[in-house]
Amino acid sequence: MDTFIAILATGLTNGALYALATVGLSLIWGSMGMLNMAHGAMLALGGYVVFSVSTTLGLPVWTGVLAAALAGALAGAILYITVVRSLLRTAGPGFETSVMIATVGIAIALQNALLLVYGGQPLSQPFRVDGNVRLGEGVMPTLNIVIILVALVVMAGLGLLISRTRMGRAIRATAQNRDAALLMGVPVERTYLQVLALSGALAGICGVLVSSVTQLSPTLGADPMLKAFIMCVVAGLGNLPGAVISAFGLALIEAGVQYGLGARWGFPVLLMLVIAILIWRPNGLFGRAQIRRM
Amino acid sequence: MFDTAPDTTGPDSTGPNTAALAIEGLHAGYDGPDVLHGITLTVPRGKIVTVVGPNGHGKSTLLRTVSGLTRLRQGRVLAGGREIQQLKPHQIAAAGIAHIPQGDLLFPEMTVYENLLMGAYNDHDSGSIAAKLDAVYALLPRLRERHAQIASSLSGGERRMVGIGRGLMAGADVMMIDEPSLGLAPLVIEQIYEVIGNLREEGRTILLVEENPARVAHLSDEIHLLDDGHFVWSGPAAEILERDELLATYLGG
Repeated sequence: MDTFIAILATGLTNGALYALATVGLSLIWGSMGMLNMAHGAMLALGGYVVFSVSTTLGLPVWTGVLAAALAGALAGAILYITVVRSLLRTAGPGFETSVMIATVGIAIALQNALLLVYGGQPLSQPFRVDGNVRLGEGVMPTLNIVIILVALVVMAGLGLLISRTRMGRAIRATAQNRDAALLMGVPVERTYLQVLALSGALAGICGVLVSSVTQLSPTLGADPMLKAFIMCVVAGLGNLPGAVISAFGLALIEAGVQYGLGARWGFPVLLMLVIAILIWRPNGLFGRAQIRRM
Repeated sequence: MFDTAPDTTGPDSTGPNTAALAIEGLHAGYDGPDVLHGITLTVPRGKIVTVVGPNGHGKSTLLRTVSGLTRLRQGRVLAGGREIQQLKPHQIAAAGIAHIPQGDLLFPEMTVYENLLMGAYNDHDSGSIAAKLDAVYALLPRLRERHAQIASSLSGGERRMVGIGRGLMAGADVMMIDEPSLGLAPLVIEQIYEVIGNLREEGRTILLVEENPARVAHLSDEIHLLDDGHFVWSGPAAEILERDELLATYLGG
């Protein structure tokens, strides 16, 4: 019974973290066919911002989290204005490849900037919740429950924004048919800017949560980013609800395998599963028939 | 050709005599040479002006150039007397030009209702949006029945109606409708043209594009025959059907 609780606690916590990272990636991919390889580095940025604001400046932790979201949004906006916008205008059909390569470069630059500013040694960060919650015969760290709740609230907020607001409708419209969105009067370039800022804010918050269970290092985003990409593909690129379901599902399976067979089997089994799913459904579990060529 | 010379000095020029849409010496094309070689036409308020001609000779390019999706290389486009050819597509939409594109270009994963709402994207007044929605539902009652259905699951005729309804939601001064009969069964084409007939009775200003003049002559005030990027004939709608030689030459009888 406590094994079950432990698997559930790990699976749901990782699922929440993966889901948050996945949704950020998937939002950008679905809107503009852009694979943001700098997403992981933006996670790290969020983690370091909460460290600077709360540990160094001594401000309350929640302002640090807010600052991390803002920093992520700003980073996304800067990424759009400096790099993505001109690639969209000039790269034509090569956009998907160009932007992938460009964001790999940005990821390296951002990680090294963090290394330069904060140094290479792992730092512990201020977003911490002590204590445990008893669940039947098992215990679950309160931090994990907070992580799950924060991730769910953020994703629910994003879901409402995308499905209910005028801005969200414009984002979906642009993703589904860019020319038609222009004809409706949607300033599509502003919509793309909003998408990158939103995704950056999600990355910032996700980075805070990820670094609260690990430690702060410039490469802290690499593992969640890799998993998020896998989950994006499993879900069907660009499908947000599918991304959340895939993230929780795969994280629970990974946790189960880690407990059952040992930690080193978690990732290989995950990858085998993904390969099997993609053979069975090449467009992902929730994907549409269209296939994008990379 | 123009009733009044369009005056671009400012908002004062939007008098009753100013054409709702005026196109002057328009050249446009894609990557290669020009597709359109100096098109000039005027759409007066409350009139339906139709461009007919064989496929692949620039009819859709003309509409795409007016709405800014295709780059204009030379010439002017005036909406209510105001130059719009240098604006971006979303600004042209805001200037009162609604383009109902060929093949509908609906938002496939949105409901009918959401598609219609997108048509009124530039309208921030919920009262006026609701009024327009009621008007669209009155004109196209099928859309009210289907309002919660996902656009990609509709029939071809219903999709066309959503496209027209979405264009109406803009509350635009000028509607440009690109081949509303394309790909539909004859019976459905009749329904769609009934709707356009209703729009005519409402006194809407429409620039219509269609391959075959037979279907649209009775709805149109003026017809231009477009061939290879030029107008080869322009005149009152009723006349074109009398000109058998034109139809035989350009439209294969």
